[in-house]
Amino acid sequence: MIVVKDVSKQYGDFTALQNVDLEFGNGLYGLLAPNGAGKTTLIKMLATLISPTKGEIFYNGKNINDMDDQYRERLGYLPQQFGYYKNYSPKQYLLYLAALKGIGKKEALNKIDELLEKVALSDVVNKKMKKFSGGMIQRVGIAQALLNDPEILILDEPTAGLDPKERARFRHLLTDLARDRLVIISTHIVSDIESIANEIIMIRNKQLLYKDSVADICATLNGCVFETTIDYGQLEDFRKNNILLSEKQEYGQMTVRFIHKGNSEDEWTSVPPQLEDVFLYEYRDELEGEN
Amino acid sequence: MRVLWNELKKILTWKMLILLIFINSVLYFLLIEFDIKHFPNGSHSYSYEMGIEMIEKYGTTMDDDEFIDFKRTYAHQVEDATQYLQSREEFVEEGLDTYEKFLAYDWWNASEEIYALRSNVFFEEKVELFWELQERERLLKFYEMKDVVPDVLSKKKKQRLEELIAQEKFGIYPEVVMMNFKTFIANVGIAILFSVVLVISPAILKDRSRQLVAIQYTTKKGRNLFKTKILAGIIATFIVITALLAVYFSLYSLNNTSMYFDVRVNTFIANESWFDPTFFQFILLCIAGIYIIGLVLGLLSMAFSTLVPNMVSLIGIQIPFVVGFLIIGLYPLLPEMISIWHPKWLSMISYCAMIIIVIIFTAILWKREKKLDIL
Ligand SMILES: Nc1ncnc2c1ncn2[C@@H]1O[C@H](COP(=O)(O)OP(=O)(O)OP(=O)(O)O)[C@@H](O)[C@H]1O
Ligand SMILES: [Mg+2]
Repeated sequence: MIVVKDVSKQYGDFTALQNVDLEFGNGLYGLLAPNGAGKTTLIKMLATLISPTKGEIFYNGKNINDMDDQYRERLGYLPQQFGYYKNYSPKQYLLYLAALKGIGKKEALNKIDELLEKVALSDVVNKKMKKFSGGMIQRVGIAQALLNDPEILILDEPTAGLDPKERARFRHLLTDLARDRLVIISTHIVSDIESIANEIIMIRNKQLLYKDSVADICATLNGCVFETTIDYGQLEDFRKNNILLSEKQEYGQMTVRFIHKGNSEDEWTSVPPQLEDVFLYEYRDELEGEN
Repeated sequence: MRVLWNELKKILTWKMLILLIFINSVLYFLLIEFDIKHFPNGSHSYSYEMGIEMIEKYGTTMDDDEFIDFKRTYAHQVEDATQYLQSREEFVEEGLDTYEKFLAYDWWNASEEIYALRSNVFFEEKVELFWELQERERLLKFYEMKDVVPDVLSKKKKQRLEELIAQEKFGIYPEVVMMNFKTFIANVGIAILFSVVLVISPAILKDRSRQLVAIQYTTKKGRNLFKTKILAGIIATFIVITALLAVYFSLYSLNNTSMYFDVRVNTFIANESWFDPTFFQFILLCIAGIYIIGLVLGLLSMAFSTLVPNMVSLIGIQIPFVVGFLIIGLYPLLPEMISIWHPKWLSMISYCAMIIIVIIFTAILWKREKKLDIL
């Protein structure tokens, strides 16, 4: 079990995270927040790449930095950006990392075959990575994180660059893996995790906003999410009084999905809230800034 | 072991090997070739031969008796030269019928015709005898001055010269071999040190700029990999130096200087030194020097490689640094490391200081790396 205790991180004067408390047991955790919220910062602290300015992180009661290689040998980590040697094949690259992970060569070769199969790269095992597409590189990265059969698997935006088919395959793989280990994946794409995560963690304003199951997080908006059809001309007015989540044009009219707290109107249909709704609602300020 | 081997393979790639061969070919033709191809050159070849003759006849030191023998040979050759002059009418006509007269003639103010006669002997006919005589006269002069201590020297230098005289270590053996070796080793030093810096500099930076560190440092090996990278760099430096030394010294063997190996450095003309190794031992000293400087520069390259943000700034730091070092430090630390023209302990202290500084520097970098935020 990982315990993040009162952790803050500053980059110079800039505070990226403040007083974060978290606990992770076995299962799959989705770290869901928009760009710049501090996902990578949290993950890098969990991976011992950066150290908290304040607070501590424990694994089974021991500080992860003090555990040193005993922690890292249990860790599988995929950075948001990671490098490779252009002239290496996936096999060479994974062999290189296997050596760093302290895995014997023979054992590594078997494991590499198995993993490249899992990420559907079996037919390019010996091809130089410089010829790979972004998605292929990303899949090598995923394979790399699994090399040492980690108890703790931390993936920073692993689905970046994957096509829908690969995303689906990846979700399967993750569900499989999360059965007997601790998996944390960060993303700002709701659909990547909403169906598979045991818990969702949201960070806002440098602090922990939610750490709960999808259902419980969605429940915070119970009875507040509606859909209705309006004329195009009404849109501006409508936007002023409600929080718009999405809009769809159909037959000259607009179907809008929105949040309204307080009395509803008759022509509105109340719909069950989705994780996406909470995401858009909670981060409406940040997301607006982006548009 | 596998980890170390992997890091080593990353430094010594085929690309690097080709680059090394290229750079060294260029530097060879620019700097080194001359001292191999044109040795011994012109009048120096008489010097070179004379030295060998002296070593074969008298060994690596000459006592008074041996010197009398040397003078006797000179006298015989003077007779031969006189006979040669008398056999040539042109010389006799001008009154140059003995070698003594030939030697004493005021050549500076000679008319063109007479001067042409002299040139004819030395350059057209290339009468070896005359060249040899010239060399013998030069050596004799040095022998006559063997116990003169110039007044302009500092106290310590004078002391050293007096010491050498007391030990009868006179600078009387022809110096061409020593001069040739000194330029050779300095230029080889330049080629090797450039090669080392070239091979080692990118090592650590490359992983960082390719963003490999995040994955590397989260493996079991973790940040200890930094130490392995340094070790791999040291081994690579060693390999590069050894390989290049092997190449350059096999070329040097073409100069055929092994006859001089047992001559002590202080018995070469104008080569007074604080210590008195043989020529061969001096070669070994220079080789040791190249290893030390190479390892120091290799470690410093890795240090810069750890600190700079990108390749451009690495080049920006390395070029002035290395060129500066070669200009200031190379001669006093390599060919002139024991010469009395530098303070006695200068090279020794410099070597120790360099070693200590890089060790401390590397230790500091390791401490930093252990705690560093990998952003
Ligand atoms: N090295 C750094 N120096 C200064 N500020 C930084 C540094 N790294 C990150 N930040 C800032 O910290 C905040 C959190 O960054 P972080 O990379 O953790 O966000 P993120 O949630 O991973 O974003 P993204 O979805 O874009 O990957 C951002 O505002 C970012 O600008
Ligand atoms: Mg990020």
